[in-house]
Amino acid sequence: MARRTQIHVGLEIGTSKTCMVVGEIKPDSAVKILGIGVTKTAGIRKGEIYDFAQARACLKDALAKAEDASSVQIGSVYLAVTGAHFQGVNNCGTYRLPDGEPVVASEHVEEASNIAREVPILRDHAILHSIVRNYRLDGLEHSTSPVGLFGKTVESDFHIVHGIATRIQNSIKLVREMPLEVDEIVFSPIATAQMALDRDHREGGALVIDIGGGTTDYALYLNGAIAASGCIPVGGDHVTNDIHLVTGLPFSKADRLKIMEGDASSDLARSVGIAKLTDDRGFAEVEVERSILNEVIRQRLEETLKLVRARLPAGAVEQIGSGIFLTGGTSLMRGFSELAFDVFGRDIYRPEPPEVSGVQASFKDPHYATAIGLIRYAQILETERAGPTGMFKKLGRMIWPFGR
Amino acid sequence: MIPYARDPQQTIPSSAVKIIGLGGAGSNMLERIALDGIEDADLLGLNTDARTLSTCLAREKIQLGSSLTRGLGAGGDPGLGQQAVLEAESEIRSSIRGRAIVFLCVGLGGGTGSGAAPMVTRIAREEGAFVVVFATMPFAFEGLRRREQAETALNELAVLANALVTFDNNRMGELVLAKQGIHEAFTAADHMIGEAIKAVLRLVIRPGIINVGLDELMSALRTNRSRCLFGSGIANGKDRAAKALKNALNSPLLDQGALLKTAQTVLVHLAGGPDLTLFEIELLMQRLQKFVPADAQILFGAAIDQGMGDSLSITLISALPEDSLATSQRASLSHQAPESLIPDPIDELPATTPRKPSATRDAVVPEATREAEALPLFSTEPETPKPEKHVASFTFTDDTIASDAMMDEPDHLAMLEDEPESEVFDTSITPLDSVSSPESLLETPVAPVDAEHPKLKLGIKSSGPQAELSLDSLNRGRFEGETPNVFEGEDLDLPPFLRKKK
Repeated sequence: MARRTQIHVGLEIGTSKTCMVVGEIKPDSAVKILGIGVTKTAGIRKGEIYDFAQARACLKDALAKAEDASSVQIGSVYLAVTGAHFQGVNNCGTYRLPDGEPVVASEHVEEASNIAREVPILRDHAILHSIVRNYRLDGLEHSTSPVGLFGKTVESDFHIVHGIATRIQNSIKLVREMPLEVDEIVFSPIATAQMALDRDHREGGALVIDIGGGTTDYALYLNGAIAASGCIPVGGDHVTNDIHLVTGLPFSKADRLKIMEGDASSDLARSVGIAKLTDDRGFAEVEVERSILNEVIRQRLEETLKLVRARLPAGAVEQIGSGIFLTGGTSLMRGFSELAFDVFGRDIYRPEPPEVSGVQASFKDPHYATAIGLIRYAQILETERAGPTGMFKKLGRMIWPFGR
Repeated sequence: MIPYARDPQQTIPSSAVKIIGLGGAGSNMLERIALDGIEDADLLGLNTDARTLSTCLAREKIQLGSSLTRGLGAGGDPGLGQQAVLEAESEIRSSIRGRAIVFLCVGLGGGTGSGAAPMVTRIAREEGAFVVVFATMPFAFEGLRRREQAETALNELAVLANALVTFDNNRMGELVLAKQGIHEAFTAADHMIGEAIKAVLRLVIRPGIINVGLDELMSALRTNRSRCLFGSGIANGKDRAAKALKNALNSPLLDQGALLKTAQTVLVHLAGGPDLTLFEIELLMQRLQKFVPADAQILFGAAIDQGMGDSLSITLISALPEDSLATSQRASLSHQAPESLIPDPIDELPATTPRKPSATRDAVVPEATREAEALPLFSTEPETPKPEKHVASFTFTDDTIASDAMMDEPDHLAMLEDEPESEVFDTSITPLDSVSSPESLLETPVAPVDAEHPKLKLGIKSSGPQAELSLDSLNRGRFEGETPNVFEGEDLDLPPFLRKKK
């Protein structure tokens, strides 16, 4: 059954930029990026909307650019959301088979899953994702559903991401006003991980840290399944703000200084002398001692990484075999890899350019990691959905032999 | 103007108040209250379980049924709890004797709490005290049986107590994150109760410029089988009136003020430092109007407390019928105004402790009227340089003059209030009667007085010297004015470079 080429659009409304990626999934599952629309965002702070009208204007612009670049009429998008209110928790549901039913039936697994999904969440929260990590049958791990096997106790282990419902609704409302439809909402680090990690990485244990303008999102995969995800409301904006507060420079200059001169490693050799910014005519406008500048940056980023580390389940860092994958705009900071190595003591990688074709320049840029990851996510979702329907179709064909 | 000393003793002396924690839950509440520091309250712990009792923070402890349960608990049997309390009756009686007001904190559902609470209440009433019961209802997961025991005890208490404030632990649980431990759930519940007790205590024992007292409190809570809405907030600096109101409405019990929409009576009490201005009060009340229905009765009180410094605190108390809250999941505090409270003040009068009123009264009257003239309607600033808070009732203040006469009086309360007996003295008191507004109440050992009685009002004072710790001394740059991004006690919006330098 050959599937048609499908076009998916990933939208990330980030703190620093709004990014819309149009991707085409070929019948052979290859992904081609058709175009990208990027605008600087206004009205978003720490991943959350605080000025709806501004955010809407930015999105409109990004939409126009993306449609322009890809020559596609965009009707619906996959939306990445983030914010400090999102939390990822693991929960395990256990169901003991009733007497006289030695074989696990799909209802039993369903029941275990339902139990697992009942995590205590706050009243105003809503569940965004519930992702199966694995199943266990009488204590033995099964990565796929144990339906049809003999056993007594079925357990299903879920990773559940939940966040404040109204804020999620506002993100959706923003997109709907374009007007665009929302195919699916995805927690940002999960989307990013789709792009950054392949199956081997996940099996080996990998941590993705997407450190963007306003938030630092992370997703941890162990043994092929997601083990933790979350968001820390600290990002590149904070670095700029710190420089502003410590040195008294205006934001724009602090930002430029951060990008042009900042270094996050604790290497003393890079903290010698004075960092200068020159204006158009080559005169120095700003001079800051490197030792201070770098220290400010390093302390902020080190703290952020340590916060991520503190949020991972105990012993998780030791299980990371594949390494830590850094992405997001702030990960471009000089010396950031060294810093991350100091904090985690694991191999540090930049995600490989994914196996997609199209405008190559954009895939290498970690700025777009999440939006491209959304295309991947869409693709995976599409195949998953195809699975069950395929079964139904087969079933239908048995009954109705004149099917397509 | 001739300075004259005002009587600081307008307050009900703390010796007249007793807070009793009964049973395991009761002693937990007591602990909370002790830790939260209600300065002058006298705490009494009652329990059947000797072990729990020994760890109780109360200065005074009485073990119930020491020969009956031999130091063990009542084992969830209310019958046992009731018998146990009878054994210790004389001790309890002597401990309560002479107290004007008794607060009884109890967790219903268990043996000691449900069994003994009605008895203790009765004993306290018999000793002439005004009894306010704070009761918690068990969590749903504790089972139907305990719930029924609790309901039974609650019904008895409704008849026996002067005022009954019910907290539903289920609702309390909603105050805390679902994933927090049961320990936190109970702590949150205890904390909420402690807050409410403190508020009532303040209301009762501290006087104000515009007084509200137990009477107002009772009318604010006067709905049958109702749930109490309670919120208090404190703020200082610019725009403190608005901020304090916002903080008060932030109370989960008020649901951002949404629950006040249907309230019929709202008690509002303001306390501020000497610089509290009339304008601020006006502003605050105007804002509050938006949250309460136009036809609601607003019982307003204000007090000056030197200890408040430049901060302003507001306390909101109201009640809603229980069923009206069914839709809103938030409220956690329920209050029941027992019917007994409402209609029958008179039979309670006899119970009141004997006073020696006449002399003081006479002395008071002329003064009071005099001062009424001297004082503007609200005296917002410290007109009289009192170190303590002042009391002035709307129309007249009784305190000043009375003071001399009262000083030597053992029981200040008695003088403060013209008790119901005042009628006896009507002739001498006439000025008082005419002046004082009908709703004003006395909070005395006296039971609820009915509305027509002339009373002096006592003001509520909101907590004394609570200063707010200001955390935002540092500039936060771009993130200025946003809600602090606090993680593990550190504001992430501040540069680690600055934070960690210390």
